[in-house]
Amino acid sequence: MYTKSPVIVMELPEQLNYVEGKALLVELQPLLEVDRPRVVLDCSRVQHMDSAGIETLLYCMDQAMKRDGDLKLAAVSPMSAAIMELMRVDRLFEVFETSEEAVRSFHAVALPENPQSLPWYSAGYGLPNLKSA
Amino acid sequence: MGLGAIVIVGPRNPAFGPSALEASESSSRLAQHLSCVEILGCSMLERTIERLLGAEVELVSVVVASEVETAPQLFAKFKKVKLEVVNDVATATTRLFQDYVQSGLEHSFVISANLYAETDLLDLFYFHREGRQKITRTHDSQGPLDLWVVDCAKAQYADASDLFGPLSNGGSPNTSSPNNGSLNNAASYFVREYVSRLAHPRDLRRTACDALRGRCAMRPTGQEIKPGIWIDDGAEVHRRARIVAPAYIGRGSKVKEDTLITRCSSIERGCCVDAGTVIEDSSVLPNTDIGIWLDVCHAIASGNKLFSLERNVMVEISDSNVMRANGSARKEAKNLRALSLANEKQQPATAKVVDSKKETPAPEAWQLGANPIQG
Repeated sequence: MYTKSPVIVMELPEQLNYVEGKALLVELQPLLEVDRPRVVLDCSRVQHMDSAGIETLLYCMDQAMKRDGDLKLAAVSPMSAAIMELMRVDRLFEVFETSEEAVRSFHAVALPENPQSLPWYSAGYGLPNLKSA
Repeated sequence: MGLGAIVIVGPRNPAFGPSALEASESSSRLAQHLSCVEILGCSMLERTIERLLGAEVELVSVVVASEVETAPQLFAKFKKVKLEVVNDVATATTRLFQDYVQSGLEHSFVISANLYAETDLLDLFYFHREGRQKITRTHDSQGPLDLWVVDCAKAQYADASDLFGPLSNGGSPNTSSPNNGSLNNAASYFVREYVSRLAHPRDLRRTACDALRGRCAMRPTGQEIKPGIWIDDGAEVHRRARIVAPAYIGRGSKVKEDTLITRCSSIERGCCVDAGTVIEDSSVLPNTDIGIWLDVCHAIASGNKLFSLERNVMVEISDSNVMRANGSARKEAKNLRALSLANEKQQPATAKVVDSKKETPAPEAWQLGANPIQG
């Protein structure tokens, strides 16, 4: 049995470089050391990001995942998105338009919209009934 | 027959249309005027000049607006080309008409460098001459084009904004009727051939794709070593690099191991694409180094700047291990600065003229790494 930790939303600075990344890490490290940390990083203020900044984000995500938690990004500007795509890290993060959406995503229970009641091989799916065949 | 041409690079004069302004703004993002950016081994401006010289034009005057940061520097390879940097493009154009009349040039093409049109220029000229109009403007299916033929004698005392201003809709694609350009007794000539308006870096990519796919007459420089794969002199492609046609690798560029160049991508002169990087639907402009294990997708990379066409943003990369302008770019910039300083010393006036001699292209042996393309 475990208790859910609260979702922490943190706003990233305008420049996410080596110096700012280090400062961010000092602030974020204790929050990542709890059980199942759930962190949302709000990137709405980020104007510039470099490889050291990206490395900080990856480190934080790694720390969160080690403790069975997750780190999500919100409000990523087109500029930051372009840098993340260039460095091939865009697909590693879940990205949301707003931090509220990102917080909600932690609470959401993944239920299929149309529960699958029929087996995949039944005629309901437009396939011949393989079981009877 | 006495035919001249005036090519206008980056005016801020509204007489030459709002699209020219937009183009200047867009090009400032790439630190170079769009028409001067090398695509598939040659800039659009050079291609336009080659077309003009091919149409029996006796003298080409390239008028560069002073606000264009880097004046074109590649005229050493053309003779009959005169370069002028001016403050007022409209006044300079009128003055050139007067000069042409004095030199015995009866007619002149006037073309914006932001326009690449594959129309038959001689046919356009004959059409204009038969019409006996002061000016003939071209149109295509999307509206008026910034390409005119002018009777120099009739136009030499006219105000350029009267000549071109009311006619110009900036080559904007949405201009409705071709008759918009029929003021001042101007004739209208319809262009059916391939046309590219360079108003945005996106247009450079589109033109490169069209050329690589064979949708226009433009061809990359270098040799087509496999269908759709063009490799220029001195390019080195690692045997473990994969190039998917159509693609272009420019002069002296290096493509290292495990890279993937795909979807109409072009790597221009003097670039280096490091190991494991993917270049997809992108153009890497001259003298740019791209670091290892990167994804350059739907973008134009120039030095340490990446223009994402998908997101329409320019990103400046501060980390030189990721992207940077290489030594050749810095050397070129230094030479250019020295050249412009020398010109300014020689000619204190705002206009400076560079007459150039023909330089015979020295074909060098084509060098490649062993087995450049993996099947």
